[in-house]
Amino acid sequence: MGLDIMVGHAKGNVPITVLRIEGDIDAATHKTLQDKAAEQVETGATHILLDLGGVNYMGSAGFRAIHAITNMLNKEAAPGLSKSPYLKLLGPTDAVARVIKTLGFDVYLDIYQDRDEAIASY
Amino acid sequence: MGDEQAFDLSVKANLECLKKVRQYISQTATRLGVNNEALGDLLLVVDEAVTNVVIHGYGDDEGQVEVQMQADGDAVSIQIRDRAETFDNSHVNAPQLDTELKDRPFGGMGIFLIRKMTDEAEFMARPGGGNEIHLLKRDAITR
Repeated sequence: MGLDIMVGHAKGNVPITVLRIEGDIDAATHKTLQDKAAEQVETGATHILLDLGGVNYMGSAGFRAIHAITNMLNKEAAPGLSKSPYLKLLGPTDAVARVIKTLGFDVYLDIYQDRDEAIASY
Repeated sequence: MGDEQAFDLSVKANLECLKKVRQYISQTATRLGVNNEALGDLLLVVDEAVTNVVIHGYGDDEGQVEVQMQADGDAVSIQIRDRAETFDNSHVNAPQLDTELKDRPFGGMGIFLIRKMTDEAEFMARPGGGNEIHLLKRDAITR
C-alpha cells in the first residue's frame, strides 16, 4: 500500500534528479515522497523532475508534499508569481492534471508530457 | 439511532483505510455506470473527506467511518458519517491561489476541493455525536 520511488539522473543544462513515482499519493503515503525528495536535496540535488506517470491517484496530501519540495528547492525568493526553475512535473494522468489546475499549481510548476522536453527545459 | 440506515462500507478510521474507501468508490462507480471524469472527482472528494475524519476528527482516538454511495437519477449521492468530534469547517478558508507558492499556507485544500468538485456538499452534526457529510455530483452517470 506504499509508494515506490525510483531515483534516476539526467543531464540537461544542469544535473537533474528524476523521481519516478509509482502508486497512490494520499495522506498515508505523501510523506514517503517528501522524505525521499528531502534526502536527495540533502545529498546535493538542486533540480528535480517528478515523474507522475505511475500515479493513479493524488489528493491534496500529494500537493502538500509538492508544495514542501518546491520550498526546499526554491531557496531564493523569486519576485511575483513565477514558475519554479528547480521543480517540474512529468506525465500526470488526466485526473491528476485536473486537480493540479483546480488547486492552481500549474501557475507555479511547469508540466510536461514528454520526458526529453522536460529535461531540455532546465 | 437504532433506525439509522446501514451503510455499505464501514472501516476503522485510519490512514490505511483510505485505499479501501477509494476501492469501494471505484467498484460502486463501475456498477452504477459513473463516467470517468465524475469518478476522478468522487475519488478525490471522498478521500479528502475521510482524510479529514481520520486526522482532524478522530485524531489519536479510534473509531469507524462509514460510506454509502448510490445513484440518484443521473446524479450520484454519497454519505459519509463518523462518531468523531464535531467538525466545524466554516472557518476553513479557501487556499490562496493567487499567492506565490512559498507564501501559501499548507492545508485547507481538502474542504476547498470537496466544495469545488461536487454540486452539493452539506456538513452536519449527527444526532448522538459525530458528523455526517452529504455529497451530490450531478451528470455523473452517462446513459
